[in-house]
Amino acid sequence: MSAGRSVGRDVPRVDGLDKVTGAAQYTADLKFPRLLHVAVVRSPHPHARVLDVRTGLASRAPGVRAVASGRDFPLHTGIYLKDQTVFATDRVRFVGDPVAAVAAESPEAAAEAALLVEVDYEPLPPIFDVEEGMAEGAPLVHPDLGRYEVVPWIQPKAGTNVCNHLKIRKGDYEKALSGSWRVFQNTFRVPQVQHVPLEPHVSVARVDLSGKVEVHTSAQSPFTVRHLLAACFGLSHGDVRVHVPYVGGGFGGKAGINLEPIAVALAMRCRGRWVRLMVDRHEEFFATVVRQGLSATLVTGVDRSGKVQAQKMHYLWNCGAYGGYGVNIVRAAGYTCGGAYEFPNVWGDSIGVYTNRPVGSAYRGFGMQEIHWALEQQMDRVALEMGIDPVEFRLMNCLGAGKSTVTGQVLDEHAGRVDLCIRRVAEEIGLDPARERRPYRGKGIACAVKAPAMPNDAASSVVLKFAEDATLEILIAGIDYGQGLMTVAAQFAAEALDIPLETIRVKGCPDTDLSPYDWQTVASRQTWATGNAVLRAASEIGRQLCETSAEVLSVPAADLTLRGGHVVHEPTGRSIPLTRLVMGYQFPDGHAIGGPVAATTSYLPEGLLFLDPETSQSAKPVAKWTFGAQAVEISVDPETGQVTVEKVAACYDVGRVVNPGLIRGQTYGGIVQGIGTGTMEELVLDPKTGRALNASLMDYKIPSTEDVPTVMTVDFVETPQKDGPMGARGIGEHTMIPTPAAIANALFDACGVRISEMPITAEKVWRALKEKEKVRCRTPLPCRPLAAGPFSAESLARHLSSLPVPARTVALLTGIPRGNGSVDSVTVKWAHGRTRALVGTLRSGDVREVAYQPDVAALTGLGPGLTPTGDDLLVGLAAMASRLGDAGLVDPRALRAYGGSLGGLASASTTPAALALLGNAANGLYPSVLAAVVESLGNPDVQPETLLERAARLAAVGAHSGADLLAGALALALGIVFPEEAR
Amino acid sequence: MRSDLDYLVPSSVEEAVALRAASAGAAYLLGGTDLLPQMRAGRKAPGQLIDLKRIPPLREIRETADGGLSIGAAVVMADVEVHPAVLGRFPLLAECIRTVGAWPLRQRATLGGNVCNASPAADAAVALLALDAAFHVVSAEGRRSIPAGSFFRGPGQTALLPGELLTDLVLPGGAAGFRGRYLRLSRRKGMDLATVGVLVGKSSGTAPDRWRIGLAAVAPTPLRVAAAEERLEAKGAAAAEEAAALAVAACRPISDLRGSAEYRRDMVGVLVRRGVVELG
Repeated sequence: MSAGRSVGRDVPRVDGLDKVTGAAQYTADLKFPRLLHVAVVRSPHPHARVLDVRTGLASRAPGVRAVASGRDFPLHTGIYLKDQTVFATDRVRFVGDPVAAVAAESPEAAAEAALLVEVDYEPLPPIFDVEEGMAEGAPLVHPDLGRYEVVPWIQPKAGTNVCNHLKIRKGDYEKALSGSWRVFQNTFRVPQVQHVPLEPHVSVARVDLSGKVEVHTSAQSPFTVRHLLAACFGLSHGDVRVHVPYVGGGFGGKAGINLEPIAVALAMRCRGRWVRLMVDRHEEFFATVVRQGLSATLVTGVDRSGKVQAQKMHYLWNCGAYGGYGVNIVRAAGYTCGGAYEFPNVWGDSIGVYTNRPVGSAYRGFGMQEIHWALEQQMDRVALEMGIDPVEFRLMNCLGAGKSTVTGQVLDEHAGRVDLCIRRVAEEIGLDPARERRPYRGKGIACAVKAPAMPNDAASSVVLKFAEDATLEILIAGIDYGQGLMTVAAQFAAEALDIPLETIRVKGCPDTDLSPYDWQTVASRQTWATGNAVLRAASEIGRQLCETSAEVLSVPAADLTLRGGHVVHEPTGRSIPLTRLVMGYQFPDGHAIGGPVAATTSYLPEGLLFLDPETSQSAKPVAKWTFGAQAVEISVDPETGQVTVEKVAACYDVGRVVNPGLIRGQTYGGIVQGIGTGTMEELVLDPKTGRALNASLMDYKIPSTEDVPTVMTVDFVETPQKDGPMGARGIGEHTMIPTPAAIANALFDACGVRISEMPITAEKVWRALKEKEKVRCRTPLPCRPLAAGPFSAESLARHLSSLPVPARTVALLTGIPRGNGSVDSVTVKWAHGRTRALVGTLRSGDVREVAYQPDVAALTGLGPGLTPTGDDLLVGLAAMASRLGDAGLVDPRALRAYGGSLGGLASASTTPAALALLGNAANGLYPSVLAAVVESLGNPDVQPETLLERAARLAAVGAHSGADLLAGALALALGIVFPEEAR
Repeated sequence: MRSDLDYLVPSSVEEAVALRAASAGAAYLLGGTDLLPQMRAGRKAPGQLIDLKRIPPLREIRETADGGLSIGAAVVMADVEVHPAVLGRFPLLAECIRTVGAWPLRQRATLGGNVCNASPAADAAVALLALDAAFHVVSAEGRRSIPAGSFFRGPGQTALLPGELLTDLVLPGGAAGFRGRYLRLSRRKGMDLATVGVLVGKSSGTAPDRWRIGLAAVAPTPLRVAAAEERLEAKGAAAAEEAAALAVAACRPISDLRGSAEYRRDMVGVLVRRGVVELG
């Protein structure tokens, strides 16, 4: 890592002392005179019409100062799609939907009065799953969807439950699919989870007697809160003031607007009084926001070499009751639907579906962990079934300079190197394909990519100004809620101005009346956007200082530099300390020049282009991409199903490491949060009532320190981002994106089971292992060695010409499937090709095991069933090879090499029954029915009718196992006897 | 939770019992780590809280004449788990207590409160069952002793009669010397309720070895599996599989957020077998 004077160095956090001493004040710490407390009346129904809300009793209850309900506040809010009112007006859409609220002198008085609010509901049928929500004639969660205000780049479908639909159409998917050598389709699911910030949501509001609104809130985005409050209450932005003190974690859950409108609505009813709405941990789980659920179906078509040619992604997002924010997750998942890979032909649909579940919103990763859960498992499955090492397969297909994303954006050499990240984590964890394997220990890898998902004009600005003693004050409106923004802003300024970090104070708790504008602290954008703004401001400040100094020293400004708190004239060594410049310079005669030095600058990403509405093609849809990868090593308790993450290696191309300690911390935190969602978290709803069943920390578990892996290694690549501050790009969210998929892939590596629905709980693993065990218990065909017998090439040729064989066998021998278009037809074509290749290698007498391995691996597990077609072919081939070896027609060393490649297969590569057959074949044992046929072929003493009868007995085994075994044996025999016409 | 709650602090057992007898809606309060969350959630609404923590005899751990130990109901778990006599003679109790919540919580939570809460998943209760503890109670009517084996009646249900106060939990001298393991599955590795808890204890002081098998979170109450213990006493650790099968037969788990009945049943077998094999 490159280190400057400040940037790149492991400097301590500038907010550290505040936080460890308790000096840092959070919203709930703030004291307000005569504070009123809020209780919210929430819907007990997942979906119901609101017929009447009567607040008379509540408003007359002791201590009550204000009651508010839907009819008084009809305006909608929502950052992208305005689909939510402050309180439900005509209908409630989830259990917890606010219907009314009470402000009273004590929390108890508020809670008791809330019970007195009378609401008449008419229950409506609820929808909890995306599939239900997409069904024809499904009840509509938002019948007025067509009338909502929406930004132009979000596409809700009126008259349905679809709040956004982004389509990716690149190349010719259909054609590429039909030309694919093999096709894989799998479905993966992710449940709703909650952010569980240490500090629950809390907002305090007052409307003064003149009507101006002031809010203190635990939020990620003071200006967006102001913007949306103004819209929601029909106010001028100038009359709304938002303060954000220190924030105790958000992870996206405090992005956009949350509790603020309810507090403001009540404050309007009791002007002059401060009103505080603070949810408890129980409400935090279901009544604030959660991460959206995902149901993802992927289809992958690959060519013979293992390059993906056709890729289809169907993402159905469970957006919950409101999609104001979530619609942009749907969009981001759409234009990133291919992850870190280059797919030449893409059919992608990312569809947001309203349901009667808690409100889906931003969560660290913004949809990326969810789609990578699907994509990265799919890549692993495809690689393994193709017989390609998963690391190699990723390197073959990953994005990089000159490659094009799903939107057709061609990456340049500054875009970041996922290939390097893959290699580094693979090496760190030891993902060598020839590695020694230990039972129930597994290793897996997953990649990650994310761009900042934000409006194209999302800006950050800063103010840099000096105090009299040359202390530099930096005003930002990005929120440092743990990620280290304040420290990073100070480091950039210290680096650019060459002043000591100790002379910088970052004013990190913004006030919209006084702070410079910042869109939001989301999207891993702050180091990059605020960092750029700080560098621009520092440059402007440097210009002002040099201009004044030039006049003082009577030298050209261009010869002056900033060094160690002075402006220095390099040629002469003369210098002026900043303390004499920052308020203006006074000459000995008393006259002064310059003036207080300060700068206000902003940063707005340049050159971003909208997506095409039908195909989403765009040459520059996002500001930047950050790539990375993680690999993990896990152990599995085979009896309890418990998974222990032993070791994690992470590597990201961050452009420039600004603060090594902070970025390591970010990465450790992301990994642990990834282990949480990956292995334990799920917000469970009662399928009948729609109520959250585990809305408490007793029943909803996130990792404790004991769940943290013993070893986490963190590494970075630094390919500078062209428009990044000193080359840096975002990393905050990326650290938790690949972890669950890497664990899932390691689980398969460890014990051959795959969990496609997050989280990977011990019980799910236990169940999957039981299922696998059941399959293993079925006895495979009884096996025996081949009996020696007479052989002549002439009889073999005669037998081969006269033996009638089943149609299935013919199909495999010719590679011409019966009927096209089925998955089986692809199996037949593929199997035929690989079998021919193996026959060729055996005939050539190649004695290297590695010459056989790729084709063997490709055939292993190929096709459906107890013993897949590919495995049967391999066993048939082995038996015939053994017979021909005895006859001197196949080199015995080649035979040993082939046998060796059968013996070394991973337990995960095929079904247990097939694995047993292959293991036997490697040891010279073959299914008796197959041995009988193979012994007969080429034996002049065997009567034709005997051979016929034995072949028929073999062909009758299984659905087509016998025919497949026979095809394997005949393929080799034909290849040896009729080398020129092996078909 | 109500704001008009009476909070009473008696300084003797007699005073506490009298206060309780005078108010039908009162509840005894020890550490409050179960009661207060239940009140906040609206599941319990006592009119008065009678705090027992300032009653000196309830805060003592005393040796008894038969070489056993009396643990006052108000002794916090953190004190029990490090007490030399517990560690020396009744280590199974410390083994179980160490899995309850986190250390800061055990600074507040009491052994007496834990058993009165009667959670089916109570880790400490399994040890008390296995060690044949007796629960001494007092009321206006007098004193009596309830064997641990008949104390737990169901989730949140005990053999305590209205107004009865648990004063101490007595471990008999005859139960000294058991060593063993509390094997426990939970959704995360620490600070979680047990999905399944299995206590396997063994005492080698006599011939044949004596065994104890206790189960948590797999029945309406914590359980002891006498049939498995007898089988082990008869055949030794070689009967691990049989003991496991007997424990599986004895448990009556339900399916809930932490695990299905099917999974829990299977895990009882796995953990009993592992515990027995480990103790050999």
